[in-house]
Order: sequence, then structure tokens, then C-alpha cells
Amino acid sequence: MASTTNLAAETKPAPIKTNKPTTTHWVGQQRSLIGRVAAYLGLVLCVLLIGLPVYWMISGAFKTPQEIYSVPPTWIPTQPTLASFPKAWNSAPFGRYYINSFVVTLFGSGFEVFFAVTSAYAFAFLRFPGKRYIFLLLLAALMVPVQVTILPNYLTVARLSWINTYQGIIIPGASVAYGAFLLRQYYRTLPTEIMDAARVDGAGHIRTLVSVVTPLAKPAIVSFALLSIVAKWNEFLWPLIVTNTKEMRVLPIGIYWLMVEEGTIDWGVVMAGTIFVVLPVLIVFLYAQRYIVDGIAAGAVKG
Amino acid sequence: MPEKTISRRTLLKGMTVGAGVLALAGCTAPVAPGPAAPAGDAAAPAQEAVTILFWSSFTGKNGETETELVKRFNESQSDVVIDYQFQGSYEETAQKVTAALQAGTAPDISLLSDVWWFKFYLNQTLLPLDDLLNAQGVDVNDYQDSLINEGVRQGVHYWIPFARSTPLFYYNKEKWAAAGLPDRGPETWDEFMEWAPNLLEMEGEEMKTAAFTHPDGASYIAWLFQPVTWQWGGKYSDPDFTMHMTDELTVAAGQFYKDTVHTYKWARPSKDVQADFIGGLTAAAMMSTGSMGGIKANATFEFGTAFLPKKEYFGCCTGGAGLAILSRTPAEKQAPAMQYIAYASSPESTAFWSQNTGYMPVRKSALDLPEMQTYFETYPQFKTAVDQLPLTQPQDSARVFVPNGDQIIGKGLERITVQAEEVAAVFAEVQATLESEAQPVVEALRAIEG
Repeated sequence: MASTTNLAAETKPAPIKTNKPTTTHWVGQQRSLIGRVAAYLGLVLCVLLIGLPVYWMISGAFKTPQEIYSVPPTWIPTQPTLASFPKAWNSAPFGRYYINSFVVTLFGSGFEVFFAVTSAYAFAFLRFPGKRYIFLLLLAALMVPVQVTILPNYLTVARLSWINTYQGIIIPGASVAYGAFLLRQYYRTLPTEIMDAARVDGAGHIRTLVSVVTPLAKPAIVSFALLSIVAKWNEFLWPLIVTNTKEMRVLPIGIYWLMVEEGTIDWGVVMAGTIFVVLPVLIVFLYAQRYIVDGIAAGAVKG
Repeated sequence: MPEKTISRRTLLKGMTVGAGVLALAGCTAPVAPGPAAPAGDAAAPAQEAVTILFWSSFTGKNGETETELVKRFNESQSDVVIDYQFQGSYEETAQKVTAALQAGTAPDISLLSDVWWFKFYLNQTLLPLDDLLNAQGVDVNDYQDSLINEGVRQGVHYWIPFARSTPLFYYNKEKWAAAGLPDRGPETWDEFMEWAPNLLEMEGEEMKTAAFTHPDGASYIAWLFQPVTWQWGGKYSDPDFTMHMTDELTVAAGQFYKDTVHTYKWARPSKDVQADFIGGLTAAAMMSTGSMGGIKANATFEFGTAFLPKKEYFGCCTGGAGLAILSRTPAEKQAPAMQYIAYASSPESTAFWSQNTGYMPVRKSALDLPEMQTYFETYPQFKTAVDQLPLTQPQDSARVFVPNGDQIIGKGLERITVQAEEVAAVFAEVQATLESEAQPVVEALRAIEG
């Protein structure tokens, strides 16, 4: 539970370890008692480091404004109240924001995963001229900070008259080098014998991708999809820039609306709003986590 | 008009059921400025209404109040429809306007903060407003002088005050009483020097309650220190961008800030001065007038407000944001755009806006309105802020007109208050940075203004 909370709550989770089930297993066998204690201590520290802010967010949502500002701070709300939730919900059209966030995340991540799965296949298994250079280009794209591309993207989107539309939010982020790179590395670790067997059985590229590579790479693909979903769900700057009206805004902007520029922030309401945002991702993560574990186990038996 | 006397606290309560603002709107007749009388639905307009795109930055309570203001305007007449769009913080709004100007998607009216409007003026993307003001019959002399004059270049108005705030001295009355002090702010910093040791509460070696608290690093320290330089007789700069950070009196003011923390040890820097004040961690602080509503709603003690303390002189600056029309706005939309600006800064609107947000009423005649007078009686802390307003002056060019000037000065001040670095040396560095950053501005200005 603790580890799920941490990944769901973080905006940028650490890179997933996709291919290490066997090695950790072996190390585990040889680990001494001291090593094990140290590992557990480290784990507890991580849980505290990541769990405390999450706990603080949840408890803050149930406190009265006076209690939030009281010193010393209280760990458990002394007069728990639900007042912040309707207050947050009614301050901005959160219902509409939910729909927008769902649409943007579903299509945004859908495209991103599709392009990552297919282009990684091409880079890993196809032979074509200049492959190495194209891959270098991909790596170069990986290095460009997002902030640099914002203005050019804005101008392009504006010329296409896509300002304040779903496609304006989704398309510029539909294909990201990161996914193609990540999956390509994973594909290359797949046993070539299986590929060869598939080819002998007469499978073409599409069939190989759909029936062989994708099931084998499921843990990596699901992990990447989760990362992508969390990133799209939490994205703030691009949707803010490319949309103008309340009707097109997404959840993180809704939270921002609850903050106050030059005055006192009602943190209880902000925390309640944050819970609105975190909850769906948490559920998705709990659901999808199964597949990561399944995939790893399946791969281990085969390998 | 019952909504004028409603207190912030009551209104916040009303919002918990989510219908507060709507309910208010329902029971209120729209307030119309000047000649534009409220037009009934029966009198349908012959021509179609003009839609004016308006970008703004207010969130939370302030955002809801502005939404309400726009709604009232739209309902008060049938020729102009304001399409009000929230665009993020002051910074994000300004950056988005910059991008949108290039893409041809810019709004007609934009809210621009004190440190941003000048950049748009320099790029010649703001419309001169005097003819439009005259056409609307707006009396510019009725605006608070220090506020309206800040948006004037070479006798031409570009930036109309809307959400303006000033620094103010806040004190915790309980701690004042416990220290046996009279129920008023200190007249001078020297007087506060005498009071401060009594206000300080120590727990062993650790400071429990500070007598005074400085913001740390966050952008406001350069704003709150601005009046202190004037009180000492110094300044950040002249209007022509000659920097004065290294002047003896400016350095002396900086030395005072440093001493309060490191020599007298009754002040400390804090990440969130407001939270400290509300939590009772500081007996007094300088904060924005815009913070008053939140303090009133959240503090569990009585608080008082006072003019800023004097040293050699009195000094207090203005801040906040105003409204401007972008020069790309087509001719047929300019007058309607100004119609909204005139409405939003009219005495009635500014009274409504200031009572709900804590920003200053920008019009002199707003103070004589009965709803404002009643409000003053129930809320004397706010009256102090308004009384101080005529004594304020626009900020020095170094903070508001030099790109990033606020941060350059703010970071320097943080080095003094937090890291106890040598004041003269830090200010010399700050001055050098400001001078090089100001260079392009000076050149651009010469090209425009001659």
C-alpha cells in the first residue's frame, strides 16, 4: 500500500526497473542479516519521506482553516470537518475538469503508448537505412527540455487554429521520444529465439508485434503507460497555455484556481481539491499494478 | 444594498454552500457607471453586441469577485459582452500575452501587474488611453494620484489602476497588550526598537515569537523593503534608471534590516510571513493590504493595522495590478474595451471590489460612498490602509521596470537577512546587475521616448 501511494502521488516517478527480477532474487538469497535490516530501514525512511506529505495533504483537507494556521501544528485534526470538500468542488467547475482530464489523458496516453510500442518495434527489429542516425535523432529529442518547445508549439497550434481545443492539448504531446527509447531497450532484451520461432511459423511484423512482442513486453508497456498517464493527468503548464476558457481547463488548473495570489490561502480547500486529482490516478495504479507483477513473473518463468 | 455591508467572513461562510456569490447576484440590481443605464431585456439592441476578450489572473475569492464584476457589467447593458478568461498568475498571464501577441491570439484587455505592464509599453503593444478615457467621460483626477500616475508615460495614460495594494503595518493586539504597549502601531522605527525587546518571546535559546518578521527570498521582500529605503532617505533608483543601491542611506536601510535579525535579534526571515502572523509566531509584520481579508478570516486574535513606521521620512509604495488595452485591438473594439475598464474602476465597482478582496479603492470619490463609510466603521483596520493611500508613491524603476529587477533586489536582500552578508558589498553587486539589466531598457526607451 505504501509503495503504491508513493508512485501515485509522485508526479515524476523514478524510472521503473523492468528487467531485474532474477538478479534481485539472487541477491536476496545471499543477503546478510545486517544488509536486510539496513534495507528495511531504508524502506521505512522512504515510506516516511514520501508518505508524510501525502498524510499531511489528507489530514489538511479535514482541518478547519484556524487549525491549519495554528502553531504548533496538529497531526490529527482535532475538529475534523468535511466542509472543505464541497467548498473546493463548488469553487470551480470540477465536474467539467474531470471530463477534460479524462479525455486528455485517455487520448494523450493512448497515442503516446501506441507510438512508443510501434516505433520501438521498428528500432529494435527492423532493418532500414540510416537507422542508427535516426535513433541518434530520437536520443537528441530526448534531451530537449520541454520548456524550450512551448513557444514554438504554441505558435504552431495557434496557426492551426487549435487554441482552446482538445487536439491543441493532446497532439503536441502525442509522441514522445522517451517511450520509444524505453521500450526499444526492453525489446532488445527479448530472446531472439522466440522471434525466430514466430517467423518460422509465418508471422509477419504486425502479427509478431501484436502476438509476441507486446505480451512479452507487457510489464514495460504497462509501466510506461502508467508513467504517461500520471504525467498527462498532472500536466499544468501546457494545458494552461493552450486553453483560454473555463470549459476547456483540466484538473491541475482547477487546484491552481483555489490558490490566492496576494492573500491568505485556504489550504484546507486546496488539499481537498488535490485529493480530487490524486484519487483517480491512485485507483488506476492499484488496478494496473497487477499487470506489472504478472508480467514480471511470466517473463521470469520463460527466461 | 445588503451585499455592500457583508463581511468577508460571512461571505466565506456563504461560499461553503457554494451558492454565495450566485445568491448575491440574484438579489442585486446591476450597478451601472455614468450614462450607461441598466437596459431591460425588452429593449433589445438593434445591432449585435461586441465581444471583448479579457484576460486576468485572479484566483479563489478574488477570482470569484472579478467574475461577479464582469457578470454585473454584462447584465448592465446590451452592447458589450466581456469574455472573461483566467490565465494563471501575473507572470503566466504576461508570458501568455507575449506569446499570444506573436500568434495573433491576444486579448483586447489584459490585467498586467506593476512589474509587467512596462515591458508591453516598451514593446509598443499598449494602446494610449487618453482619447478613450475622455470619450467615456472618465475623470482621471478622481483616481488616487499615486496609482493613476504610475501608468503614465510622457503625459499619456497606458495602465489604469484596478487591483492595487500597498504595504501596511500589522500588529497582534494580544501580544501588544501582554507587552504593555499602547494600542497603536509604532510612530517610528526608533520607537519600535524600544518596543521590540518586550514583544520578543524566547524559549531557552530559541526564538518562539519574533517581534517582527521579514519575508525571505520570495518576490515580496523587494517590494516591502522599497518603502524602508525611502524612510531612510535612500532609494533603489531614479526614474531615469540611475541606480542608487550603493548610496549611503540605502545601505543604511539595508544595514537596519540586517541588524534586526543579526544584531538586535528580534526579527527573523520567514518563508510565509502571513502564516507566521496568523500562527502567532510574530507580533508584527509589514504585509500587503491584500492579505488583510485572509488574516481577518483565520486569525484567532484581534489585530490592528497602522501606517508604516517613519525613520527620517514617511515612505510607502504602491503595488498590485492594473488594466491595459493591447494596441492590436481593432478600432471598433477599443471604445467598448474602455467602457469595461471605466466600469471596473468606477467608484461603485471599486468599492465592491475592495470590500471583497482587500485591494485599495482606486477612486477618491469611492471613499465618500455610504457603503464605504459603513464598511470603515465595521472594519477600522481597512480604513487605516485607505488613509495611508494618499501618502503612497509609485515604486522606483529598478524594481518595476528593470527586467527581473524585483528578483535581483530580493535575492540581494535575502543574502543580507538570511546569510548575514556585508550590506555594502551585496548592494554593490545588486547595483551592477541592475545596471547591466537596465541597459537594454534604457536604449529601448530612448528609441521610443527620445
